[in-house]
Amino acid sequence: MQTPKIKFDHVTKVFETRSQTIVAVKDYSMEIQAGEFISILGPSGCGKSTLIRMLDGIIDTTEGDIFIDGVKVNLGGKKKMPPEVLRKMGFIFQQPNMLPWYTVRENVALPLRVFGLKGKEWEDRVDELMKMVGLEEYANARPSEISGGMLQRAGVIRAMVHDPEILLMDEPFGALDELTREQMNMELLDIWQKTNKTIIFITHNIEEAVLLSSRVYVMGTNPGHLVETVTLDLPRPRELSMITQSKFIEYRQKLESYIGEIDLSKIK
Amino acid sequence: MAQSKPITKKKKKERDPKRVIAPLVVLVLIYIGLEVGLRVFQVPSYVLPTPTNILIETAASFSIILPDLLFTLKIICIGFCIAIPSGILLAALFSQFDILVKAMQPVVIWLVITPMITLIPLMTLWLGTDPNLRVIIVIIQATPIICLNTLNGFTRVEQEKLELARSVGATKLQTFVSIIFMNALPQVFTGIKLGCIFSTIGAVSADFVSRGMGLGDRIIKFTKYSNFEESYGCIVLIALIGITLYTIVELIEKRIVLWKK
Repeated sequence: MQTPKIKFDHVTKVFETRSQTIVAVKDYSMEIQAGEFISILGPSGCGKSTLIRMLDGIIDTTEGDIFIDGVKVNLGGKKKMPPEVLRKMGFIFQQPNMLPWYTVRENVALPLRVFGLKGKEWEDRVDELMKMVGLEEYANARPSEISGGMLQRAGVIRAMVHDPEILLMDEPFGALDELTREQMNMELLDIWQKTNKTIIFITHNIEEAVLLSSRVYVMGTNPGHLVETVTLDLPRPRELSMITQSKFIEYRQKLESYIGEIDLSKIK
Repeated sequence: MAQSKPITKKKKKERDPKRVIAPLVVLVLIYIGLEVGLRVFQVPSYVLPTPTNILIETAASFSIILPDLLFTLKIICIGFCIAIPSGILLAALFSQFDILVKAMQPVVIWLVITPMITLIPLMTLWLGTDPNLRVIIVIIQATPIICLNTLNGFTRVEQEKLELARSVGATKLQTFVSIIFMNALPQVFTGIKLGCIFSTIGAVSADFVSRGMGLGDRIIKFTKYSNFEESYGCIVLIALIGITLYTIVELIEKRIVLWKK
């Protein structure tokens, strides 16, 4: 069998605060193959963001191991993930998370600076990506001067600038309005089809999860754990018009039933 | 494509002429108001001389005032220029350790509040009576306020920005320079601007206590010999030093902190 691109092996994360111990993620396992687009679906506080933060070395694991290409990447304790592992991943935050003191282009090129990737080919890549999402004329603007949708596009290409194999997306379009969000989702599918990256997409929006991914991991709260894995047998390329088809609705209802006991109105 | 606001760089550079003229008008009005009011109500000059008399008498005695002006200016500038890096470096040092931030904050606040002139009689005892030692008063008066504001800025970084740094494997130094320090810059400048005020206060109050030299000393001498116009002239000069420093810092801030409006 093929080595999975990403593997979570019985991963547990416990946060210790002064007053209490919180189990954010309990005994979580999953395997993702190279080039897959999967979603992790669950209500706020189910630990889904914690999962990809552990994968990207932002926080450490308490128990269990994480593997990328068969190599264990969580080194335990305060040990930082080596740069060659981090370079395989790009993280897209819920907010654009731009640094306001840099221009849009400087923000996009930030990972190159940190990873020490210099030279014309990388500079050209920045310009190419800026052009791809329509940001080229805002290269020298400050983040405060452009719209939220534009900023999130900058956030997406910043995560791609060092040509990672894996994109980790933490409810990336959750803060945008419905129309922009739909548009960005379609743009994302387009990028994925062209580049064949492995994508982990975190969301609490069922429709979004069904529309985008090949498999959905449903998580529950208290403590955060895997409830169910649902494989979506829908044709690609996906289109917005699919959301009215019976198969789509069937999947949606199935996923709804797994997180049904959670009051959805409270999540947003 | 989502519509974005057009970038309005030109608009920013154009200065609204009203904003320059308005304060000047107020200044002229105060001048005229004082001049007329003081004459009409025949206020004696030991209470408040007229602005015109202040200008004339101060100009006439300027050769006497000049050495004191230069001395005070020197004390303020040297002390201030040492206080800026000291305050920032101390804050940078404290911010490296959470425990040190918590431990030092009350101490720094305590130093900010203590009027440093209270130390002068003791300092004379330790270090002698060289007037140049007043620089030390300026430094210990201005450093804590710069340190306090900088520290405040250092400890207020959004978690997500630090996560961004971690996700690309930034070193501690890279994170500090590119995120923590840049994020704190507006507060650093607030500290430096307050430092201008504290430096001026420090230098003049040191003159009052130690005597012999400086604008503070000159004010006491003029008042003693009933030269009230010149006393007020010196007060205006001290204010001018403070305002000039403050304006210079503000101009530098506007050139550096481009992302804040």
